[in-house]
Parts: sequence; structure tokens; C-alpha cells
Amino acid sequence: MKAKKVMALMLSATMLLGLTACGNTAEAPAPAADTAAEDTADDTAEAAADTTEAATEEADAAQAAGDLSYTSLNLEDYTDTAATIKFIHHKTDRAEDGTMDAMVAEFNKTFPNITVEMEAVTDYAEDALLRLSTGDWGDIMFIPAIDKNQLETYFMPLDTLDNLSAQLNFANQWEYNGLSYGIPYMANAQGLLYNKRIFNEAGITELPTTPTDFLADLQLVKDNTDAIPLYTNYAAGWTMGAWDAYIGCVSNGDNTYMNQKLVHTAEPFADPGDDTGAYNVYRILYDACAQGLIEDDYTTTDWESCKGMMNRGEVATMVLGSWAYAQMCEAGDTPEDVGYMPFPITVGGTQYVLAGGDYCYGINANASDENKLASLIFVKWMTEKSDWCFNEGGYPVVKGGKTPDMYAAFDGCSVLSDEPALAGEEDFLNEMNAESELSINAGGNDKVQRIVEAGATGSEEFADIMDDWNSAWQDAQDELGIDVLY
Amino acid sequence: MTMKKRRSFPDWLRSRDGQKVLVMTAFMIVPLVLLFVFTYLPFGQMFGFSFYNMKYIGARKFVGLKNYAKVFSRKDCFGALKLSLYYMLGSVVQLVIALYLATILSFKVRGGNLFKGFMFFPFLINGIAIGFIFKFFYTRGFVFDTVLQWCGFQLDNLPYWLRDQKINNFSLVGTSVWRYFGQNMVLFIGAIMSVDAELYEAATLDGANRFQQFKYIIMPSIKTIITLNVILSITGSLSAFEPPYVITDGANGTGTYFVVMHEIAHTQQKVGLASAMAIVLLIIILIVTGLQKLFFKYIFKSGEDEDPRAAIKREKQLARISGRRGGAAV
Repeated sequence: MKAKKVMALMLSATMLLGLTACGNTAEAPAPAADTAAEDTADDTAEAAADTTEAATEEADAAQAAGDLSYTSLNLEDYTDTAATIKFIHHKTDRAEDGTMDAMVAEFNKTFPNITVEMEAVTDYAEDALLRLSTGDWGDIMFIPAIDKNQLETYFMPLDTLDNLSAQLNFANQWEYNGLSYGIPYMANAQGLLYNKRIFNEAGITELPTTPTDFLADLQLVKDNTDAIPLYTNYAAGWTMGAWDAYIGCVSNGDNTYMNQKLVHTAEPFADPGDDTGAYNVYRILYDACAQGLIEDDYTTTDWESCKGMMNRGEVATMVLGSWAYAQMCEAGDTPEDVGYMPFPITVGGTQYVLAGGDYCYGINANASDENKLASLIFVKWMTEKSDWCFNEGGYPVVKGGKTPDMYAAFDGCSVLSDEPALAGEEDFLNEMNAESELSINAGGNDKVQRIVEAGATGSEEFADIMDDWNSAWQDAQDELGIDVLY
Repeated sequence: MTMKKRRSFPDWLRSRDGQKVLVMTAFMIVPLVLLFVFTYLPFGQMFGFSFYNMKYIGARKFVGLKNYAKVFSRKDCFGALKLSLYYMLGSVVQLVIALYLATILSFKVRGGNLFKGFMFFPFLINGIAIGFIFKFFYTRGFVFDTVLQWCGFQLDNLPYWLRDQKINNFSLVGTSVWRYFGQNMVLFIGAIMSVDAELYEAATLDGANRFQQFKYIIMPSIKTIITLNVILSITGSLSAFEPPYVITDGANGTGTYFVVMHEIAHTQQKVGLASAMAIVLLIIILIVTGLQKLFFKYIFKSGEDEDPRAAIKREKQLARISGRRGGAAV
């Protein structure tokens, strides 16, 4: 009889627990953020406990780590450093297929006493910012979209920009006051993916170099093959924001435009009239949607399955950075069909390619000295010895490093990398993005989704959308008090 | 003349009264602390945030009520509330279905428990998983289209469930209804079972049919539960987030208030504006809940709802009048 009572009590307790979940038909994102912060706090507490033990043994090494800089660090001198560091990254695909573990194992062959804990975060752009605000998120992360004046609060300077630029490319992405805070793990060239076999079948003999040619080629693909000419990947969101990368030097040949001139331009989305500029980058998308050259139901596109579709030739072109090339090749049996071409815009007779660093390694400014040293060792090893950049099909970060074959089509194009912002104006682009809500190259996916909707349904004219963006840009300039110079 | 014994505090604690209070406090303190730390404290901070122009990290600028003004003047904030009307319509349909099925299943039905299990099951699945399921459900030529083709529809005549802006909100509302009607139904079944079985017998003897039994016996008995469910459903539809966010990312005209707020907070990094939006939504929900309570008070008016104080006043008045009359008569 008593056992029955106990059973009944336990059962009702469990049911009550379950009942607490109902009645909540909406769950705010805030609780999720709290639990994420809790998890990282637990992990780093453990890591801190390990390092305090190691620190007492390696006191000498800790003293030597006081003056850390990338270029002065000689990897051979520190092979017996001991520490436990935590590395947060967004490459969930590489975490899953074991590439990350393999690299760390290789790292541990030279540095056996540095334990690297890794965490792959799925919604990286937002999560990283939330974790940053907690202060003890780990030791190494890929620097998210923060203001440049916040860099010194959160990240340790890796070296002076001049020193780094002598050895590495693209070290100026997170430069502030002459110091560089981030080194990219790989560099991308901005072009677009295409399927070579489909292009052959459609009868395209030369790669298109202007928007009009490109649209004509897409029409050929639609007429002569079964493939989807341009796969927008509308539903994923971030794939739409990828179009923003082309409105800088790719569309106008000026590598000071993105970081210096754009914030001072009155009408960045106006039509310059010669098939160049941001106007024509987005016009390609609008016209492709209006002419039915995209997938049938863009609202239900699927990122994971589109990689296989690209490989097999069910999709002819996709507009993404070169980092996607490796993933497309791995997604099917015919990697030789996947090709990469420069973006079809010609400025003054030359096609331009924007090469720039991807996400950059950043080291926590609040980590212990021991951890900072170990983190710098790890970052330097990953950059120079791990070949990760080459394996991902990235443009070399180390000066004089090997360039993968996929960039064969880029011969004859002018490869540029964006100049950094002028001193004192480093945060203008960030501020303008937030104020105007266009979020160029900062997650502004819905503005590009709007173009797809307008093109496919005919609800808005392209020129009207561009005017809208221009006025949002100008309003933001007024609000922030930024001068209009161009 | 009894002297009240003044007990010392430790003595009181050991006494039965003290022990009762101690046990109550000890059990309540853990949930209260959790409630405070995870609900009230962040809420208070968010209320503070709404008066600043700020990102998650970095300096804040005090702007007073400017964020609230922006919430009302921007097109996308209040425009998103219009989508809540779709969800409210869906919740009405949901409650009707739930009530109907609950009434049927409260009485003896062959395989009744099996049906109850199947219908409650969607509520147990995680919202994100449901979002993914329905994303593929609505994809052209996939589950929904195939089933309709078996029923005889031609693929070309079927609309694009998520692409067509006229019906994509209905598709998302359908997902929400599918998910929650089971939970509502189970709550209603529980309430209906509390009705005295003899009432049905008496009603059948008097010649009432099933619908009349429902309207005059069941409905009044479970009116508290119905009110509660309506309030929860309306609140839920004002703050609908998971279906549009997971299935369409809020694009193509499906972005509800919460989705817009999330976008503003995390992509545009206007945390102050998003906090102001949250507070405005809270005020709207409070107003709507208040209106609903008045509405239901009117609908379900009965003798027992009368204000007890008014009843006492009335009794006193009657007693005074009859006392005067009685006294005068004497």
C-alpha cells in the first residue's frame, strides 16, 4: 500500500514538471542566451582550474609570456608549454567530420602539453557576440562583428600591423591604432560557383564578363538543360547577405570604396549607367528572379542539399565566396565539375576580384598569461603549419603560400583587397549599417530577400527598392552626422 | 486574566507554528529565487535597456522615450502585429476543434485513449523540430502536395504554400494549430470529466439532445477553463515566434512581431529599440487580457459571480428595512 503511495507521488511530481512547460506558447530567445552563458562559464571554470595547476609548474614560461607578439614568437622555443585553452569556432562541418580533431592531434605532436578544447557553435554570428559580453568565454574565438574601438577591451593585440603585414596577407581586418588584433584563418576570393558540365551542355563557350552576358547565359542554361540556372538559397538567409560582398571593388574597381568611401557616398545604390556598381550587382539577382531563372519555390530552399545539387549538375550557378568551393566538391561524386569564376562585372575593361580574410582568430584579452601564450602558439601553428587555409581552398594568408588550383579562372583579373578605414572613421560603417538597417556585409539578409520577392512576384520595381536604400543610407548619414563627400 | 506567554524566537521556531512557516519558506525559496534571477531580474534590466540606444557590448546613450516613439512610428513593428490576427483566428479554430474533440472523447469511445494519445503527441515535440518537419511538409511536390494528389488534386492547381503571400501565413498558422490543439483538448477533457454524470441522465430524461447538453451543462461548468485557454491562446498568438522563424525565417511577409524584434535586437543590434518593443507588447497583452476578462464576465454571468461585498451590503439594507418595519409595526 505504501509503495503505491510513493509511486503515485513520484508520478504526480513528474507530471507537474511536464505541466510547467505548457501555457508558454512563445519562448523568448533570452533564456537560451542565459543557458549558453552558463555552459561557457562552467567550461572555462574547469579550464581555469587546470591552468592554475599547470601555471605553478611552468612559472618560468609564464614570465617569458609577458611580452607576446606574433612575429617575435619562435615556435620551437615553446614546445614544452603546458596549458588548457578553449577555442570557439563556427566550423561545425569540420568539427563533425573530424578535421578539427585531426589538426589538434597534429598540433599536439609538437606541443604535447597544450590541451585544446574546441566548441563548434552553430549560430555563430549572434552567439559569439553574446558570449563576448560575459568576459570568460574561453581563449580563442573568431572575432565577430564588433566595433573597432571595442577591440582592446575584448582581444589581445597580436602584433603591430606593420610587423604582421610583412609576413601575412589580410592582417588589417581588425587593425586599431596600429595594432592588429586578428589573423584570418583563411582568405576568400569573391567570385561565383558554377557547374562546368552544365555550362558546356548549355553551349556556353566563354565565361560571362558583364551582367547582360551572365543573364543571357542563364537563359541558355534554362533552355538547353534541366538545371536550375541560379540557385538563390533564399530560405537560409545568410546566403542572400553574401551578395553584399560584391558591391565594393568587384563592382567598381576601387579598393578604398568599401571601408572609406561608402559611408560618405550620398547614393551608393544609384545606377552609374555603365553596367557597374552596386546597382548592377543586385540587378542581376532581380532580373534573374523576374525572368524565372531561379528555383521554383525559393521559400523552401535547403542549404545542405543544394551542395549535392551543385555537384551533380542540378544547379548551374550560385553566388557565394570561395570558401564554399571545398564544400561543393565534397558533396558529391563529381568534384571536377565544380568551378569558380570571377563575378561577371567588368569595370573599364578589367574584371576585379576581391580577396579578403575570412573570420579572424582573436585571443581573449582577459585570459591568463599562460593561456595567452598557449593561444598565440596555437594561432601561429594553425596559420603557418596546419595547411588549413589551403585545404579549405582559401587564398593564402601567409605571404608566398601555395594557391589552390580552383583560382585558375582568375588569371587576367585584378585581385585587390580592401583598404582599411581611415583613422578615426573605423566604426562609421558599423554605425551606418545599424542605423540604416541595411547591414551591408553584416547580416543584412532581408534586404536582399526583398529583392528576390519583388523580382519573382513583381510587387516592386527594382529602381524603387534602390531608391529606398539610398534614402535609408542618407537618413543614417544625417542621424550620425557623417559628411557626404561623393 | 491570562498572561500571554511571550515565546523567544528559537522557541517559536521549534513550535508547530514555527515549523510550519519554516517548511513553507524552505520549499518556496528555491523556486522564488530562480523566478527572480531568471525572470524578474532580466525583465527589470530589459526595462532599463529600453531607455537607451545601445548594442549588447559598448557604450550606451540615454535617449528616454525615443525608442517608444520609434516603435509606434516605424512601419514594420506595428505592421507585424497585423499578422497576429491570423494567429488569433487560428487559435479560435484551435479551441473549437479542441472543445469538439474533447466533448466526444470524454464519453466512452472505442479506442478513445489511443486517439487522445495521437492527438496530444504533437504538443510534446520540440518547436524547432516541428518547424523543420513542416518546412519539408510544405515544400513543392513533397508531403502535403503528394497527399493532396492522392485525393485527386492536380499538382499544377495547388498553390505554393509558403511562397504565395496570400496563404503563407495560413500555412504557418496551420502548423501552430496542429501543435497546440492536442494540449487544449486534454485540458478540456479533464475539465469535462469533473461534470457530474447524473446531470446528463437527467437531461436525457428531459429530452435534451447532445448539442443542448453541451450548451447548457458542459459549457457553463468548464467556463473557467475555456476563459483560461482563450487568454493563453490570444497571448500566444500575439507573441508567435517559432513557426515563422524556423519555417520561413520571417521572410516573405511572415515576420511576426517577435521575429521583427529578434531581427532588430541581433542583426541591427538596436537592443534598446527591441527592449522597447517587448515592453509595448507586454502592455498590449495586459490590455487585451483585461478586455477578455470583462468580456467573459459578461458572457458567463451567473448569480454566484456577484460581488460578495455587494451581497452583504444588500443583506444589511434589507435587515435595516425589515427591522424598521418590524419596530414600527410593534
